[in-house]
Amino acid sequence: MQHGLFERLRPALIVAAIIAALSPVIAGSPFWLDNSVIVAIFALMSLSAGMAYGQAGILTMATAAFASVGAFATAIITVHYELSPWLGLVAAILLPAILAYPTARAIVRLSPMPLSIGTILLSLVLEHFVREGGSFTGGYIGLSGIPSLPGFDTQFSMHLLGWALVVLALVFYVNLTNSAIGRAVRTAKHDPLRATADGVNVANLLASYFSVTAAVAGVAGWLYAHYMSYVGPDSLTMHVSLRIMLMAVIGGAATYLGPVLGAAFLTLLTLYLPAAETQGMIFGAVLIFVLLVTPNGILGTNWLTFLKPRRAARRERQPRSAT
Amino acid sequence: MYEFVEYVVRGALLGVTYGLLAFPVSLVFITTGSVDVALGAYAVLAVAIMYTVGGPLGLFLAIGAAVVAAGIVGIVSMRLNRPGAVDHIIPVLGTFGLATFLESAILTYFGTAPMIRQPFETFWSVFGIRISPQFGINVAVCLAILAALYLIINRTPFGRSMRASAVNPVGAALTGIPVRQIWFATYLLGGLMAGIAGVLILFTTGADYSTAFTLTIWGFGSAIIFGLRSPLRGFLGGLIIGIAQALCSGYLPSSLSTTVPLIFIFVVLALGKNNQIAATGGRV
Repeated sequence: MQHGLFERLRPALIVAAIIAALSPVIAGSPFWLDNSVIVAIFALMSLSAGMAYGQAGILTMATAAFASVGAFATAIITVHYELSPWLGLVAAILLPAILAYPTARAIVRLSPMPLSIGTILLSLVLEHFVREGGSFTGGYIGLSGIPSLPGFDTQFSMHLLGWALVVLALVFYVNLTNSAIGRAVRTAKHDPLRATADGVNVANLLASYFSVTAAVAGVAGWLYAHYMSYVGPDSLTMHVSLRIMLMAVIGGAATYLGPVLGAAFLTLLTLYLPAAETQGMIFGAVLIFVLLVTPNGILGTNWLTFLKPRRAARRERQPRSAT
Repeated sequence: MYEFVEYVVRGALLGVTYGLLAFPVSLVFITTGSVDVALGAYAVLAVAIMYTVGGPLGLFLAIGAAVVAAGIVGIVSMRLNRPGAVDHIIPVLGTFGLATFLESAILTYFGTAPMIRQPFETFWSVFGIRISPQFGINVAVCLAILAALYLIINRTPFGRSMRASAVNPVGAALTGIPVRQIWFATYLLGGLMAGIAGVLILFTTGADYSTAFTLTIWGFGSAIIFGLRSPLRGFLGGLIIGIAQALCSGYLPSSLSTTVPLIFIFVVLALGKNNQIAATGGRV
């Protein structure tokens, strides 16, 4: 179904409007600006996971690994070679995408569960290479002293840049989903045989799409590296990938704004948790609760049906496509 | 050559516990179409309780806790899954939730210290290879469980109902088989096996709170290497992975010894047809 320009820009406009309203309020608070940048970074990664799972059906556990590739790419370019961070951005987009395509091409024919395990293996192998990379990747110590971005050396400017990237990613995501490629991806997810009969090279299409999601994660990694000024082997691990997937699922992985909402919700929730050890219990419990109440995530559920009689509501409470 | 044989034997002994975790992975998959990624967490929960309490009471509580945890996952999964459902990923996410919860609970209540017990001080010498009697117990327990499960699945009315629920859940329900109860029993069976595996792990390699995910990975790796649809082949996969790990540890530099088994599973996954969807030429 074709959507008008406003319809396609709506998710990005909603985020832009919220940030425009919040920015003056938090501008004077380093604490909230810091959290806002972190939420923007996780929102980008969560969008990447949402694209892979919500649209292509790939339950990826390698999002943080691809972000890590982006982060290390820019870190190596700016710290070792003292080149521009903007060149680092190009590398952070291209390297994860180039790495993701052949690996995804090898495993996208797998059924969903083994495919997810395949992404876990990929993530663990990438983590290992980072750890064993010696002075090139900083090994077990990591790389520090990553320069801040030229023109974005204040927290407020990083806050604006982070959310500008989220808005751009949303515009890209919505347009891609509403294009012929996006429709083919959804067909390949729901019925690969039908997609093949339609002349779609399913493996190539899904691998290419997965490669695009890896590039989005790479952008998040680039932002992470230049904001934190440090990236190490324990910065973006498999456990972060798992948390990112939880964010996407809780918000609504098949929706445009769900991953952003999930990222904001879980990141801000951690601020009010008593200790780091107990965070997993809260995350796990929240995930189970959300899945039981709204299996399609907070924004993937038509909440009005909860007000209707039970049987009618059950009939209507079908999974919603991207909105 | 002697060295090679020693690594193979040690790897096979290690792989027995992976095989014990792989078996329920396949069992839950063929019965419900979903998987339980909290299996590693059940095993570590059993390790923690057995380590803390000890003795026959500890054994009972450890395996009991694993079964109760699996029961909770079963209840949640059955709320999210139903016979004839097409999308089995959502219940998997539910099991991810409980795995995260359990790992965090183990960290909070049992701490970060490694948990291991060495019950034997003397070792057997088999053709010059020093083997702990515990490995003998592990093999005996695993083979006994596998034999019992093989008989249950293939020779009892419960096993027939389980297989019928797996092949055609809607048809099985129409013939009066209580499909949902069968599913729940399968989750409990998975918890029981993970609990037993956890107790064996305590007396073999030990574990800490962070081992849960690693055990899940190796259990899954073992189960998928020859295709998720065969529990017995899953057990064989466990042996293969154990041997691959032992050979890599023995012959490769330490920087590669943990990565190569992962790449090995990845390559087998990528090249084999066992886990590919039928629409693209596979068997699932």
